[in-house]
Amino acid sequence: MKKTINIPLGSQHISLLEPVRFKFECENEKIISVDSDVGFVHRGIERACTTKFKFDAIGYVVARVCGLCAITHSLSYTAAVEKLLGGEITKKAKYLRILLLELDRIHSHMLCLSHTCENAGFEAMFMRIMGDRELVMEIQELLTGNRVQFDYINIGGVNRDINSEVAKKIIENLYEVKQRVLGYMDEFTNNWSLSLKFKGIGALSLDDAYMFNAIGPLARASGLNIDVRNEIDYLPFNEVGFAMQTQSEGDINARNIVRLHEILNSILMCENVLSGLPEGAIFTKLKGKPNGEAIVRFEAPRGELMYYVKGNGSAMLERVRIKTPTFASIPVFSHIFVGENYADAPAILASFDPCLSCTAK
Amino acid sequence: MFDLKKYRKKSPWILHYNAGSCNGCDIEILASLSPKYDLERFGVINTGNPKQSDIFLVTGPVTYRSRERLIELYTQMPEPKVVVAVGSCTCTGGVFRDMYNVEDGIDRYIPVDVYIAGCAVSPELIIDGVVKALDILEKKSKEMEKPLKLFKEAISENGVVNRRNVALKVGEVHEEN
Ligand code: SF4
Repeated sequence: MKKTINIPLGSQHISLLEPVRFKFECENEKIISVDSDVGFVHRGIERACTTKFKFDAIGYVVARVCGLCAITHSLSYTAAVEKLLGGEITKKAKYLRILLLELDRIHSHMLCLSHTCENAGFEAMFMRIMGDRELVMEIQELLTGNRVQFDYINIGGVNRDINSEVAKKIIENLYEVKQRVLGYMDEFTNNWSLSLKFKGIGALSLDDAYMFNAIGPLARASGLNIDVRNEIDYLPFNEVGFAMQTQSEGDINARNIVRLHEILNSILMCENVLSGLPEGAIFTKLKGKPNGEAIVRFEAPRGELMYYVKGNGSAMLERVRIKTPTFASIPVFSHIFVGENYADAPAILASFDPCLSCTAK
Repeated sequence: MFDLKKYRKKSPWILHYNAGSCNGCDIEILASLSPKYDLERFGVINTGNPKQSDIFLVTGPVTYRSRERLIELYTQMPEPKVVVAVGSCTCTGGVFRDMYNVEDGIDRYIPVDVYIAGCAVSPELIIDGVVKALDILEKKSKEMEKPLKLFKEAISENGVVNRRNVALKVGEVHEEN
């Protein structure tokens, strides 16, 4: 007689924002194998980038690959095209790009934290973090004009300048967010019922993280110190106070703590950007058409994002390849699930912060 | 007393399905359920079960693989139901229009009652749309509960009531009501 049962999770489920299907094979409560299916939201953006849109519009199209890390997508594409066109953008534009990139990271991490709490059954914390997240959304709207899809970055600079009132408001709100985040830090480390759900659950060891090529907060929670912001030099991250955040346990709690520390670090970087904002133009006109190949990497909130762009000197590109963080992490996900209780599956899944519309494109 | 009509209006449950969106509109739906905007003050609760929900919030331009699930969810919802299309790409295909795996908007597959435009839509607009959907829901449930008359008045000739031919023909039912 067959001893195991198959339990599907998805493709439509209350704990999922996006359609993905996991098939868990369970023996009693324990998960013994996982099968995942991620292609529900494939739209064909890569192909449309080479047939439908001209190269100067694609920055706005690839932002629609994913609403959560929209800014990283358009930034990576723009950086690749700027590399091909061979121009240099002004320092102020670079600083403003860092500012928005980090604001986006703060709101994405807050969403992930609140979602992890909700899936663990802690609705009050979900509401609290979502409520505080509005402080960040507010300043994003002030800075760019939209709450989610910013369309802020274009080839050669950024689209909107910042004035002193907005800067003041950003500083005020970020100060408020910082106080709240310090509060969560206390909650996540000391709350007993949260620790039952998070501590020691869904652990990933350092060796496994290395072997499965984990990236982003998932890897940093296991003690693997990889962060693209440390390795690239298109944007001056080290100048504005970037610091690597790692933990060693690798369980859900460690991932949460890494995210909280990263929020604090991002707030620090935003403050440094605003206090040291250089004078100058926000836009330089770059002439010509992209010709040749370029590869660009950036750190999205979920890990490394890679763009490969190939142009042939005309307005239409020849190839755009997007490698997204969640795509690289799917093998790790499946590995972590094995041996855990089925009841913990939604919380573990939320702690990965998966982004399926990135994965399927 | 158990008054379904009142409960349905005061506490509609919503079902949310992502048919290939970019997540932008999904997180705005979440934001509109969160404390600042608080859609829940209208009694709205987000459920995961199509069989218990009244309002169907769809985001995304309907990809090739999600269309069967979209129709499946729609047919599982009990009448009366209202469909709200959230986001430009849900209404028309938006930026994804004419991509090879995309079906250009959900109204090719299921009837839509409220369209909310914007990329991404702001939570204020979502709340506005859901409140509109509540009105439509009420109208639909009234229409459903109105009795259909299937016969005409009997004719009386010289004091004799003739009940022949009082049944309405198929086409006449709607004219009469
Ligand atoms: S309307 Fe825009 S923001 Fe909303 S899901 Fe579609 S592409 Fe994303």
